[in-house]
Amino acid sequence: MPQEGIANPQAKLPGPFRDLEPFADWALPTERERMAARESSRIEELQVFYSAMMGRLPAIVEYLKQFPLDRMPEDSQRLLEMALSLVEVSIAVELYRRPQVINGFDRSRFAVG
Amino acid sequence: MKTVMKERRWVEKYPDLGTGPVAAEPCISPEYFELERERIFRRSWLNVGNVCEIPERGDYFVRELAVCNASILVMRGQDGVVRGFHNVCSHRGNTLAWDEKGKCRGYLTCNFHSWGYDSSGQLKWVPDEANFFDLDKSQLGLTPVATELFNGFIFINLDPSPRENLTQYLDGLDVQLKGGDFDKLRLARCYKIDEKANWKIGLDAQNEVYHLPFQHRYIMPDLFLANEKGLVRVMDVTFFNRHSVYSCEMNPGHKPTPLESIIMEMAAAGASHCRLPVAGSDFDFYLIFPNFVIIFFRGPTNDSCVTYNFWPLAVDRTIWEIRCYSAPLQNAAERLAEEFALTRTRLVFDEDATAHETVHTGLKSRAKKYLLFQDEEIQIRHFHKVVEEHVGPATGA
Repeated sequence: MPQEGIANPQAKLPGPFRDLEPFADWALPTERERMAARESSRIEELQVFYSAMMGRLPAIVEYLKQFPLDRMPEDSQRLLEMALSLVEVSIAVELYRRPQVINGFDRSRFAVG
Repeated sequence: MKTVMKERRWVEKYPDLGTGPVAAEPCISPEYFELERERIFRRSWLNVGNVCEIPERGDYFVRELAVCNASILVMRGQDGVVRGFHNVCSHRGNTLAWDEKGKCRGYLTCNFHSWGYDSSGQLKWVPDEANFFDLDKSQLGLTPVATELFNGFIFINLDPSPRENLTQYLDGLDVQLKGGDFDKLRLARCYKIDEKANWKIGLDAQNEVYHLPFQHRYIMPDLFLANEKGLVRVMDVTFFNRHSVYSCEMNPGHKPTPLESIIMEMAAAGASHCRLPVAGSDFDFYLIFPNFVIIFFRGPTNDSCVTYNFWPLAVDRTIWEIRCYSAPLQNAAERLAEEFALTRTRLVFDEDATAHETVHTGLKSRAKKYLLFQDEEIQIRHFHKVVEEHVGPATGA
């Protein structure tokens, strides 16, 4: 078990948030990737990720605020990207109640980013 | 609340715009579209971007203006001046810059025979120059295009001698939009939608809020101030000759989603560092004729803006370019608030683009000859009137 405050090269997320590591695949750097991940997931998967992240969001943001955005340590950057994925996933969970946008546009003609 | 909920307010204020039906033919007629190319797009000031996209000397971007059969190169010279050119080599007319954006380090060279231009468009290098005849490089720079700036937004005019400068063209809008932290803006995100619809159909669909509780029922059923029946009412509509602005207030009774509540709380705790001239409301939608829109959003601490450029490719095909601008972010809370705003507005584009096409499909059938506008859609009525003043009435309507 790594000690608090000691860098652990195997750890994907900062110490206080290591319990969220099962969701580390949601650390996606671009809006396009986060959008594609939402749309290709099942609503049940999105719901699980949403529930795991929502209660932790204020603590996550409080933690991340100590770093300038352009100089985030790698593990914190991943945590930030997971929080950005939560924003993306909430579209499905809170608004449409399904992974895709209802009456959304043809993806091949909608360039993001 | 500043919004007056009374019905049929705007026709009283702007009786000249009338109340009758408006011809649908200009949205589907190929002949009309050909006239629009010449009488609107080749003679108007057209926005092509913002100076924040080319912050350093030598930075450039290219915009394909298919509607004018032109490729426009916008570049910041070593002297800091932003200039627009036709993106065409002086030798044999090849397209000079092929990338959508880039940096001119020394010379921008043509792929064909390596003719080189500096960042102010001057021809500086011709391989085998001595073998040409009477070649005067000083007269063979890139063909300039009239280029002017307004609050950092870059406008070009393809008329070789524009009849008005940009300030005259804006006709008071420049005064209305004076002040604000425009110099702080950065391009946060860009979306490009290739839609099978007439450019005016897309623009019209954006140019009103009547549709919000219906078409956007999943994402913003109650965001803007509405009357007791839930029908959105704009706070104000003003016309500046060809241009228009409408403003809305946010609904204080809006029910935020759980994530929205958390994010808004975090955002409200931040420090303010960007204010834009939102005209006493929360949302201002400026249509700068013919195809440019600037929308200002009042944020709890920081304002932001989104621009649309509707670029027609054909009577039934349009590239809807969307650029989202905001001040540099200071921390993760602001980053999340921005992502929230961006993703939610992206959903609006997603739902709207679909509807732009279904409207075009409907009109193309010629089942209906006319478009009907209610009082809250008066800004669209104004836009169609301005189009007709430029192009003339559609025959066959």
